[in-house]
Order: sequence, then C-alpha cells, then structure tokens
Amino acid sequence: MTPACSLERDSQTLHRPSVAEGLALEEALLESICHGEGDFGLVAWSPQDRALVMPRRHERLEGFPEARAALAAQGWPIQFRSTGGTPVPQCPAVINVALALRCRVTGSAAHLEWGYRRLGMPWCDWLSELGVTAPNLGEAPGAYCDGRFNVRIGERKLVGTAQRWRRVRGCRDMAMLAHGAMQVGETPETLVGVVNAFQAAIGDPERFSPASHIALGQLLPEARVEAALPGLLARLAEDA
Amino acid sequence: MTTDITVPADLWEGETEGVITAWLVNDGAEVAQGDLVAEVMVEKAQYEIEAPVSGRLSITKEEDEVVSKGTLIATLQA
Repeated sequence: MTPACSLERDSQTLHRPSVAEGLALEEALLESICHGEGDFGLVAWSPQDRALVMPRRHERLEGFPEARAALAAQGWPIQFRSTGGTPVPQCPAVINVALALRCRVTGSAAHLEWGYRRLGMPWCDWLSELGVTAPNLGEAPGAYCDGRFNVRIGERKLVGTAQRWRRVRGCRDMAMLAHGAMQVGETPETLVGVVNAFQAAIGDPERFSPASHIALGQLLPEARVEAALPGLLARLAEDA
Repeated sequence: MTTDITVPADLWEGETEGVITAWLVNDGAEVAQGDLVAEVMVEKAQYEIEAPVSGRLSITKEEDEVVSKGTLIATLQA
C-alpha cells in the first residue's frame, strides 16, 4: 500500500457543524480525493446537535420505523453515515476526525489494517503526549460498535474507528476515508444508554456496557482538548 | 461473455468474513464498466465494488449475506 500524497492542510481547526453537516464534510472530503482534487485531507468536527448515527443497512431491520420514532422522542434522531459499523451517538461530547488519503493499491494485502493503523497510531502518540498512559489499538468487548482497531485506554474504548473505500475516478488508485470518534465529555453511561435504548426499541437483546468505554474527560479533567487538537492533526499529517 | 464480480482477495488480513450491505443496482440491470454496483462491509469498513466490465448484472449473493475474500457475488453478461 503506497499513499501518494501531497499535503493540503486546509483544516487545523475544530468545526462545529450539525451532525448532518459534519457527515457531509466527510463525504465531501472523500469525494475531493476521488475527483483528483488532492491526495490528502483532514477534517475535525464536533456536532452542535445530537443524533444516533448508523450505516443505512440498519434501515432494513424489522421495527426500524418504530425504533426511529422512539429515539427521536428521546431527543436522539437517527441519521445515516457512509462508513461501516453499528449505531454510535454523536453529540457535543464527541470529537470526530476524518482522514482521507489517495492510495496506490499494489499487490500487498491488508488495506484495511493499514488504514486503521494510519489513523490510530498517531492518535495514540498524541494521547501519550497529553499524559495518557499506554493508549493502544484493539477490541473492547462489551463496547458498542466494537472493532479490532479502537483506540483504547486500559482496554476501554476511547475512540471508535471506521472506514470507507472508493475508487478514484479514471484510475486504479483508491480513496480511503478513515474516521475516528472520540468521547471527550459526558459519561460512558450516558452514551451507552442511548445505544441500549435503540437496542431495546429494535428488539435486539444485546446490551452494551459503560465499563467498556471511557471519556477523555475522565482521564484528563483539566485538559484543554480543543487547544491540543492541532497536535493530533499535525501528527496525522506527518506521514502524508 | 460472462465476467465475475468477486470480493477483492487482498482487502484484509486473516479469515474475517464480510457482509454485502447494499446492492446499488437491481438484478438484471444493464451497467457500464466502472459503475458502483455493491458495498461490502468488513472490519467496520465499507468498500465499494465497481463493475469490471459493461453488461447485464446477475446477482448471486443478496444483501446481508456473509461473504469471504474472493467470493463470487455477481456476474456480468456482455
């Protein structure tokens, strides 16, 4: 996997859009790579409003319209995203960072693992710099939208990650969008409760555990995360 | 001539299975080379699959079916 990149640092600040606008920012970033407008892009955003965000395939679940109405009544309207995974709450307590790269696909395997490490390892380095002990990538059993490449603290999920891959127009290169959602504020109980409310509304018996999640504010209550965020974006841009 | 559409064999490590999350065109539709036809999800990654050639699409794996690397998911009849 060879990223063919020329750096465009067009965004070193935290955007404050609505959830829908934030998701649209990410889609526009991926599309810009697909149209050959650049080889690298970054966007950081934290929503002003809140929503429970999931891939569109969940719309096919039996009872989805009723579950959607129930969550909306609780103040958590459902929206859809283009990356994979399962439902994730978006609210002002969450900071999202999306990294888009144009990648020259060679014969090597494991595009997906490469993409997750490309996003996750600089994130771990940044957390270490902030004073967090031993951040790493891995599963967090019991967490909602679990995967093999969460950014974890003490085996609890701090950052959920997901990707989307799309062909660059007119050539064999691929565009990758790697997305991370980090819980900064609120408590894990609050956000896990939202996902579990959806689980109950859709009739799925699986429940998730707050003990499998952690918020950065629990670890570093005095940290000025927004002020430190350019450091994360700079690290993500370093290899570009 | 018939051309296979398969899940890329070099997309991820190991034997983790994926799932077809969406067909973007209907069974039996005419598609052009390069058209997006399907999305596969594995490891929380959505991967878009294009038509390798133009032709009439015949779907062999439906939405929500589990797939492995290299799985035949459709054919195109030129």
